[in-house]
Amino acid sequence: MELLRPSSLDDLNGGLMIHGGTEVVPLLRDGILKADTLVDIRGIVPRGVKGNRIGVGTTLAELEGSTAIPEALREACRLAASPQLRNMSSIGGNLLQSTRCWYWRLKYPCHLHGGDRCHAREGEHREHAIFANDYCASAHPSDVAAALLALDARLHTTKRELPIADLYRLPDEADRHVTTLEPGEVILELELPAVEASVYLKAMDRQRWAFPQVGVAAARVAGEVRLGLAGVAPIPWLLTGPEALDAATPLPRTAWKVDVARALVRRALDRL
Amino acid sequence: MPELSLTVNEHRYEVEAPIEMSLAHVLREVVGLTGTKIACNEGHCGACTVQVDGMPTLSCITLAHTVSGEITTIEGLRDHPLIDAFVRADAVQCGFCTPGQVVSAAALVAANPSPTIDDIRHTMAGNICRCGTYPRIEEAILHWRD
Repeated sequence: MELLRPSSLDDLNGGLMIHGGTEVVPLLRDGILKADTLVDIRGIVPRGVKGNRIGVGTTLAELEGSTAIPEALREACRLAASPQLRNMSSIGGNLLQSTRCWYWRLKYPCHLHGGDRCHAREGEHREHAIFANDYCASAHPSDVAAALLALDARLHTTKRELPIADLYRLPDEADRHVTTLEPGEVILELELPAVEASVYLKAMDRQRWAFPQVGVAAARVAGEVRLGLAGVAPIPWLLTGPEALDAATPLPRTAWKVDVARALVRRALDRL
Repeated sequence: MPELSLTVNEHRYEVEAPIEMSLAHVLREVVGLTGTKIACNEGHCGACTVQVDGMPTLSCITLAHTVSGEITTIEGLRDHPLIDAFVRADAVQCGFCTPGQVVSAAALVAANPSPTIDDIRHTMAGNICRCGTYPRIEEAILHWRD
């Protein structure tokens, strides 16, 4: 294996990109990711908060302590992962993290791995999805993505500008990916609109260092209230309103998440 | 084999290691500093915590070749008042998590010399102790300067 440290974005030419490494290194070790060339992009992607723009290289620890960002994003960063992981991990990498589904992590030949079924649907799925779980029942673990979805953030990449909702796609038979990022495309910055108020609430199995069972971000942006949820679908989930929870399609052992989501949505809206 | 240069506890080490080798592995097996422990080896438990430029970092999921900052391991904190504080509070049971606990705690008190219980619980959340000595670890950090 070789490690490259390009000096500019123009020098990027294939290889597996690595920033904090908190996701890439364990997945390489487990054989889920494979690479002959690693490309350390820490030197070439923006870092820090400037006005309403956040460089994707900014760590969650830096954002947790920032007064320049909306409350929902700060709280999502503060409640994410562990202190060491927040020191290491970039916000860009957080958006691109893979599912915590144990079947996927244990390399079961599931739909996301190119196989012919979702093992979680028939197997152990207490922590899995309550929406869009037909094809893949995994639950997206990013607190930060849920917050950015509620905040209606836009992404600037090396190829385009897009709302964060368009970064994600539900996997299907023709395309098993959960993001729309193209090979070689790099997210550079996040842009936030003027936010009037925002909040992030997170239910976890313990109070610290846990992935969200359900995370609810609520934000008032240009007079409109937006709700972004983590842990409820294979991708970060935009909820059109509290009543949209009536349309949830929980699995036998994820029904409890609907009640948790309902309670958190109600509390989040009360606090806005 | 690729060469790399590491600064550990203010000493410079020129070593060789494969790109895929973790910092924890290089520290223990190549540099010979075995105070840093490897437990889960997947970034969950915090036993492998070292400081990189003062920031608690999980050395088991950090590739050694990607580190350019100054590394502080438990060996570099031998004379830190926290060591005595952990002994006074009897905050060690099996002791395997203790190096990581002290490394995280040293970064905490450097940034915040008078942490509250809430500060300690938030900042130490990434260091798991399966013996369950958390109350004594909190006590050691609360009274680290006594």
